[in-house]
Parts: sequence; C-alpha cells; structure tokens
Amino acid sequence: MFKIFNYLRNPIEIAAMSFIVLITLIALIGPLVAPHDPYEANFHNTFSAPSFEYIFGTDAAGRDVFSRVLFGAKLTLATTLFIIFIVSSIGIFIGIISALSGGIIDNLLMRFTDIWLGFPPLILALGFAASFGAGMKAAILALIFTWWPNYARLSRALIIETKDKEFILSAKAMGVSDLRIIFSHLIPNAFDVLFVQISLDVAAVILVISGLSFIGVGAQIPLAEWGAMIADGRSAMSKAWWVVFFPGLAILLTAISFNLIGDVLRRELDPNLSGNK
Amino acid sequence: MPLAFIKNIFFYIGQRIILTIIALVVLSFITFSLSYIVPGDAALVAAGPNAGKVKIEQLRREMGLNLPFHEQYIIYFSKLSKGDLGKSWFTHQPILEDIKDLLPASTELVFFAMLFNILIAIPLGVLAATKRDTKTDLSIRILVMFGAGIPIFWLGLLLQHFLAGEAELFPIAGRLSFSNRNFESNSGFILIDSIVQGEWSVFVDSLWHIILPSFTLSVLFIAVITRTTRSTVMKALEEDFIILARSKGISEFRVIVKHALRNALVPTVTILGMQIGWMMGATVLVEEIFGRPGIGKYAVKAVTQSDIHAIVGVVLIVGVIFIISNLIVDIIHFFLNPRLRNS
Repeated sequence: MFKIFNYLRNPIEIAAMSFIVLITLIALIGPLVAPHDPYEANFHNTFSAPSFEYIFGTDAAGRDVFSRVLFGAKLTLATTLFIIFIVSSIGIFIGIISALSGGIIDNLLMRFTDIWLGFPPLILALGFAASFGAGMKAAILALIFTWWPNYARLSRALIIETKDKEFILSAKAMGVSDLRIIFSHLIPNAFDVLFVQISLDVAAVILVISGLSFIGVGAQIPLAEWGAMIADGRSAMSKAWWVVFFPGLAILLTAISFNLIGDVLRRELDPNLSGNK
Repeated sequence: MPLAFIKNIFFYIGQRIILTIIALVVLSFITFSLSYIVPGDAALVAAGPNAGKVKIEQLRREMGLNLPFHEQYIIYFSKLSKGDLGKSWFTHQPILEDIKDLLPASTELVFFAMLFNILIAIPLGVLAATKRDTKTDLSIRILVMFGAGIPIFWLGLLLQHFLAGEAELFPIAGRLSFSNRNFESNSGFILIDSIVQGEWSVFVDSLWHIILPSFTLSVLFIAVITRTTRSTVMKALEEDFIILARSKGISEFRVIVKHALRNALVPTVTILGMQIGWMMGATVLVEEIFGRPGIGKYAVKAVTQSDIHAIVGVVLIVGVIFIISNLIVDIIHFFLNPRLRNS
C-alpha cells in the first residue's frame, strides 16, 4: 500500500498524493478541527466575506463555509468509496462467473454488460430519484446500477488472461479447490489492474455525485455536501462568490489528485494499459 | 473478396441491430420498473385530494394499476410502441409532445459542444503526441488534468458570473435576447430557422447565447478526447508503416494527418459516439444554470415536481439516443477498421 509513495516522480505527483493524504485526514478528523459548527445558523452574520474568523466566509444562513467544506470531505469520500466497493464487487463477481463458465453464459452476461456499459448515469439517477425520492440513497443506487459493467468487463478479461497460466494449472493439478484458486490466485493476481481502475474511478464518481446533489437529486440542503453547497450559494453568487467557489475548489482538487495518482498507479502497475509510456 | 465483404457487412450489422433491439427492450423494462416502484400511487394523484375511496379504486382499475407486474408491462410496452409516454402532471401535455418541443434546443447545445470537442480536442491531442515530452505536451496535459477534474456545473457558474455577469462578454441566460423574443421558430432549431428565414441578427444572437453553455458542457469531454487522441497517435507514430512512410520522404504533416491520424481515430470515434448520449445526459447540469429550455432542464423540473412519467420519458429518450448513436458508431467503426471488415 505504502509503495505508492515510492512511485511519485515529480512535484505535481507529490502534491497530488499529499492532497489525498490531507483530504483523507480531514475526512477522518475534520469534525474535530472544524472551527465552527457547520450547521449552526447565525442570521446576524450572513454572507460575511472570508476573514481570519471565517476563512472561507459564511453562507446565506451565516454558517461557516470552511467548516462545511471540511465536513463535506467525509461525506463525499465515504459515499464514493462505498459506491466503488459495491460496484467493483458486483463487477468482479459477474466477471468471474462470465470468464470461468464461458460459452453461452459468458456470451449472455457480456452482451447484457455491453448494454449497460456507459449508460449516462446522470439521467438514470434522475429516474431513481423520482422513484425513491431525492436523497443520497437515490444517487448511490443510480451510480451502482450504471458503474458495475466496467468492472465486469475488466475482471473478465483479467481472469481469462490468467486462468490458463502455468501457476494456475499447476495449482489445479495439485488438487486445489476452484474457490481457493479464485480467491487466493485469480483475484489477487488481477488486483493491481483493478486497483488502477478504482483509483481512476474515484474522481469520476465524486464529480457525478456532487453533480447530482447540485441539481437537487442527491444530498439535500442543509447537509454539508459540496455539490449541494454550490447549489445553495448560486443565487447569491454576485454578492458572495465564496459560498460557491470553495466547495467547487474542494471538488476540483480532490478529483485532480485522484486522477493524477490513478495515472501514477497505471504507469507503475499496469504497463499494458498505459498510453503514456 | 467483394462477396465475402458484403457477407461480412450483413453479418456484422445484423448482429449489431439485434443487440440494439434487445437493448431497447431492456431499456423499456427499466423505465417501466422505475415508474412501477414509485411509492406515490398514480391513481391517488390523478384522482385529486378530495376523491373518495371508491373513486380511487375505480381509477386504479381504469389505469390498470391493479394488474400484475408483467401485464402492466405489456400494456406499457404497447403504449410505448405507439409513442404514448403518458401525460406530464405539471405541463398537462403528453410527454412526447413536451420532449419534441424541447429536444431541438438540447440538440443544438449538444451539437455545439461536440463541435468544440472535435475542433479543440483532436488538434490538441495530435499536437501533444507529436511534441511528446516537450513544454507544449506538458501544458496540454495540465489542461487535460483540469478538464477531467473540474465539476462542469461549477465551471458553468463561474463562467456565467465572470464572463457574462461581470465582463458582459456573453448573455447570461436563455436562447435569445429580449429584443428577439418574437422570433417564430417552426422546427425549434432557432439556429437553422433563422438562417432559412434570413434573420441574421437572430442567428448571431442565438449563436452568442449558445457559446458559454456548450463550452461548459464540452470541457470534460474535451479532456477525454484529447487524452485518447494523444495516446493513440503516439502509439501509431511508433508503428512500422509510419517509419516506412517517413523513410520514403513523405512530409511530416502528411505522415501525421494521412497515416497516423487515420489509424488513431478509430478508438476516438467510438468514444465520440458514446459521448453523444453522455452529453445529452449532462444537459441536466448545464441547461438549468444557463436558463435554456431543453430536456435537461425539463427533467430537473420534473424531479422537483415528482413527475415520475415525465422523468421516465426523458430517461427513455436519452437512453434511445445513447443506444442508437452507439449503433451508428459501430457501423462507422466497421468501415474505418480494416481488421473488422476483412475478418
């Protein structure tokens, strides 16, 4: 895991990794270091400009934007990691079944996967929001429904590639059970490439989730979620740009950092897929 | 050879069409399920707040809501095949009519976003690939980094605030200025109708209104295409036939454009095709910000009004656009890719 630090080659990559460490720390202990209560309204202090007391200013209800951005880190990262954990599990499961059964089951599963591959998640999320009611639940469900095919395709390809390798064949010849082969040989062997995909997906999922909250489908005001905070501040943009600016900056920096580290991992772990090397 | 080629075409395209039909049926099943699981009972809403139990029960039977799932789906599907998507609760119009009215505006937006995408991303990708590891390459890669990480709704708000609001370089919102509000567009495509009617000022006005929203919409897609083009061109430049072409003394420009780009564009075209559907979906983020009527804004409005049928209608239409554009790309792919054509 900590090998990542040895892969960093230039200042930009080091900055990106530092930012990821920072944002993860904030997600873990953010509530402890936040200078104010992110939900405490103060109507005598609305839209006050960034100052020493409120370094990102205050919003329409006089809440401290800085504290809200800190709280938002936890919500965003936890949701994103949860979604990616679920979609990669579903995808890997389907990929393994597809790769190992072969023939008609493989064909059917992959055609079904193709249909889903790349279906616009934003628009499907709207459908889920209408069915289940707006909220994080609808946004999470929509992302799960649209994101798994990537992992199914990828893990199928990886399993097919490795299942006829010598070490698998010899394990089989030694009478190791199928389940054991899957869990202790096939999956670990594919893990590097899957990990690259995961790190690249973090940014994409963060962007979609915050976008959904922005249009009112995901997190709802006053929840301290970055997309929802931007939506909350947009009507007062002309007099208080900071309410919109800082949550967006948090999204931008987080997404860029994860993308960069995803590229680093791809370069180091998956030379076949890398277009840059 | 030609006979085998024709046989190949029919086999390949036939297979794609069958898959497309299956995809469309699956899509209709999903959109139906979305409206089936909605907690609010459609009969309750249709009957109004003061209706008695008997009246609601009667309506439920009339609307077929007491039937089992699969029978309801068959009814839904047969209505769908006649183009009946139900009625919207907040516009009181058939949903298909609403979408027909709004789709031209969204199509104009997506068309311009695609234009930005192709005109900016492909040249940038080629430039980065040919100037590999130079300062130019580095700056293009930094731009791509920002493009792929920026939330477009935030970018839209910033562009609107600074370029339209503060600097007054662009109009803030809408499709036309107030002075042109009486322009009659028969097809809904204002840009086309204004040319046909010879109304140049309307055309320019409308073009001016579309620049910021379509650029905002295109940014993420530009990043993806620049990146793809860069890596495919880079790979193509290392191929033997490029080295051969160079050794024959063909000019560098010709080598890149005629030989490298042609091969490199195959994966790019596939992604561009998928992006049409994504862009249609992403209009929900952009149209709302720039106050442009369109299916994205309509969908967002429908969500706030809990108008399930209207939303499902938009999901369906965007899904159909996505699936059909993928089919077209698959067919184009067949002609671009010699390996597919001759196998």
